[in-house]
Amino acid sequence: MAKAKMLTGCRAAAEGAKAAEVEVICSFPIRPYTAIMMELAKMVANGELNAEFIHGEGEHAQLSVVLGACAAGARAYTGSSGVGVTYAMEIYSPMAGGRYPAQMAIADRTLDPPGDFGSEHTDAMCTRDNGWLLGWACSPQEVYDNTLISYRVGEDHRVMLPQMVCQDGYFISHIPDTVTLGEQSQVKEFLPPYRPISPLSLTHPVSHGPQIRPDQGAPMDAMRAEVFLTVPKVIEEATADFNRIFGRNYDPFVEQYKLADAEIAFFIQGAHANTARAAVDRLRKQGVKAGMARLRWVRPWPTHQLAAALGHVKAIGVVETSTSYGGAMRGGNLIHELRASLYDLDERPLVTSFMGGLGGETIWPADFDHMAKVLTQAVKEKKVRNYVQWLGM
Amino acid sequence: MQAFDYKYQQLEPVKSFKRVPGPEQYVPGHRTCAGCGPALNYRLVAKAAGKDTIFIGPTGCMYVANASYLCTPYAVSWIHAQITNGGAVASGIEAAFKIAMRKGRHAGPFPNIIVMAGDGGTVDIGLQAMSAMMYRNHKVLFICYDNESYANTGIQTSPMTPYGANTTFTPPGKEIPEGKTLFPKNAPQLVIGGHPAVKYVATTTIAHPLDLMNKVRKALSQPGPTFLHMLAPCPKGWKFDEKLTREMARLAVETGMWSMYEWENGVYKYTNVPKKYKPVGEYMKHQGRFAHLKPEHIAKMQAFVDEKIKAVSQPIPVAAPVPGKQ
Amino acid sequence: MAKELPGYGTIDVPKDRVVPFGAVTPAPVCQQDLFQTSNWRIVRPVKDDEKCTRCLICYLSCPDACWVYKEEEDVMEWVNNFCKGCQICIQECPSGALTAAPELDFPDGVVRLDKPF
Repeated sequence: MAKAKMLTGCRAAAEGAKAAEVEVICSFPIRPYTAIMMELAKMVANGELNAEFIHGEGEHAQLSVVLGACAAGARAYTGSSGVGVTYAMEIYSPMAGGRYPAQMAIADRTLDPPGDFGSEHTDAMCTRDNGWLLGWACSPQEVYDNTLISYRVGEDHRVMLPQMVCQDGYFISHIPDTVTLGEQSQVKEFLPPYRPISPLSLTHPVSHGPQIRPDQGAPMDAMRAEVFLTVPKVIEEATADFNRIFGRNYDPFVEQYKLADAEIAFFIQGAHANTARAAVDRLRKQGVKAGMARLRWVRPWPTHQLAAALGHVKAIGVVETSTSYGGAMRGGNLIHELRASLYDLDERPLVTSFMGGLGGETIWPADFDHMAKVLTQAVKEKKVRNYVQWLGM
Repeated sequence: MQAFDYKYQQLEPVKSFKRVPGPEQYVPGHRTCAGCGPALNYRLVAKAAGKDTIFIGPTGCMYVANASYLCTPYAVSWIHAQITNGGAVASGIEAAFKIAMRKGRHAGPFPNIIVMAGDGGTVDIGLQAMSAMMYRNHKVLFICYDNESYANTGIQTSPMTPYGANTTFTPPGKEIPEGKTLFPKNAPQLVIGGHPAVKYVATTTIAHPLDLMNKVRKALSQPGPTFLHMLAPCPKGWKFDEKLTREMARLAVETGMWSMYEWENGVYKYTNVPKKYKPVGEYMKHQGRFAHLKPEHIAKMQAFVDEKIKAVSQPIPVAAPVPGKQ
Repeated sequence: MAKELPGYGTIDVPKDRVVPFGAVTPAPVCQQDLFQTSNWRIVRPVKDDEKCTRCLICYLSCPDACWVYKEEEDVMEWVNNFCKGCQICIQECPSGALTAAPELDFPDGVVRLDKPF
């Protein structure tokens, strides 16, 4: 049995990439994900990892390099943070539509202006319509695990989509926590080698990406949408396999913490879920029936699973760590799709949101107490006063 | 890291027209304009490179016109790249083949990896990726097919458009009589000037097919990054009768608007140097994009060319005539 | 509790509009028949075989590879299906063996395809 180590999220991501035996890595420095690449550079230089380590000239180039590498049949890996993620925006759709299943590790960072190194999920959230698989980890262990699970799901021939594996900058990327790395045999059992479909080849020449006819634009989109109808099944299979082989206990889509009989619940993704769990425990001791639903995949969004998990809750507080200026709720991103998931229920839970952890701020236990008060009040009044509250402001 | 034999191809020079390799790797059946210079360019490059080749096609005429619709004229593997990232996508492909060979997945030969980028995709929007690829010592040949504009979007100016050219972003008018006021970048110099890993840089045109093919083969036989700058006249953009495509390339060389040279190991070797340069007017008079120019503009162009050809040290003996009056 | 929630529906792309996986198509061999451009031209090159010196310049000047040298017969052959009538070969022929003739002069002139591509 493997020993547990104290690793930061960045180090855990690098270990995950190494376990996955990634073959082409493209680096470019930006806080706070840079340490992932520094670790991989050491591994390649020492001969621990047989890979091509390419110094990209920018994030747009990083994604372009991995696109080319993937098209030529290599398992490719890259990463970024903050404005780096948005600089590469041009390439996300070509990669998803071209079905190149490379992986991008993201350690979140607030978008400019101005330079702010603190974590915010907006960087990766902005890319979510391009057709990638996208999800957040809440611990270095989960970063390592998600690295392997995402490759397994993304490279499955029923899927063949690129994946973003996200972790909160600083809270996860830089604070060490216990991580148990997989044994070589476990990884081999779980993650088969990448088998490209019609790669660029000398023996079977192909053309990747000619122009489609004008009447094929909509079908191209429809076929890209259709893949996402199959992805959830593949995620369920992969997560079940992962749990079995590595001895974990992940719910494929939504971590449900004391949710079964909860009357109020926090809906959250990422690092602050750890504080949320402790808050739920504290509230329970005070007799409040609190629970937490932690989202593990933003794309594909687990609509039915969320309705099933949260349908019975009386009031849900969405903890928003990203921004959607001018959005319907004038707050963050998660609330829109959560409300949409609950809309068709006979009895809809009350849903409000709390902007917290922005700019890399801590969400304190006291903040969760405050949120619980607001939610309890909403239950009593049978209505939500505001779509959004800004914690501490 | 120990040296690994990646089985790079060594391509023999083509000795004569009769010895030009027969198989077309850029086959007929594409939507390029009748008389398209870049299309002829692509055909000759593909012939020279042979079947063990992978092309990267950044967006441009040689993507859109070739790859409409859902079919391409490339008999070898080809991938579309964004206009921004030809060099970067090629770098990824090169790296993937290197690791595939080290892991025994690909026995060889190492593919000829060739980026076919337009002038915009080389020195403007594609500059960053091209330069980084040159810097990183990838075994890739970067070819700029220069039709001196962003042609596919309807002829807009690029940094390679000559002074005085009429494009839809540099139309001549009362305020700006010459149309384009800026002089172009010098693409091969950009590469030669600052990239220590580059092995070979050369210029050529479609009017010199053996020269073009041999420069392609010489570049592909180098163990690192190489750059070729190819003049590919565009009948639509330059506004000349499409049967004169090759003639325009010849006149470009004969007037000094285009110099043919190789650079290798720090040494320049000029070829096809005219004994007596023709005045630039001989070249410009055929092209509608210069039809609006006055004698003072032609003189400015002549002065620019005179400076340029000083490197080849041949003075031009006659004054430039006005176009259209011949 | 939840009533039956809506599903995601089904997607049925008509067969003639389907895009291949990842927009990846097989490479053509010898020619791309999905894009015959013969109906672009209004003139075609006519060869006077006695004047032709087999210099191969027409072969190397055509963007559409419409001149082929037949080694056994030692003759230049013109490809009908793809010639766009640009006349580069006529312009470049050093021995004047090629002239332009109107397409409509020929019984198989201006091949009208049912679909342009």
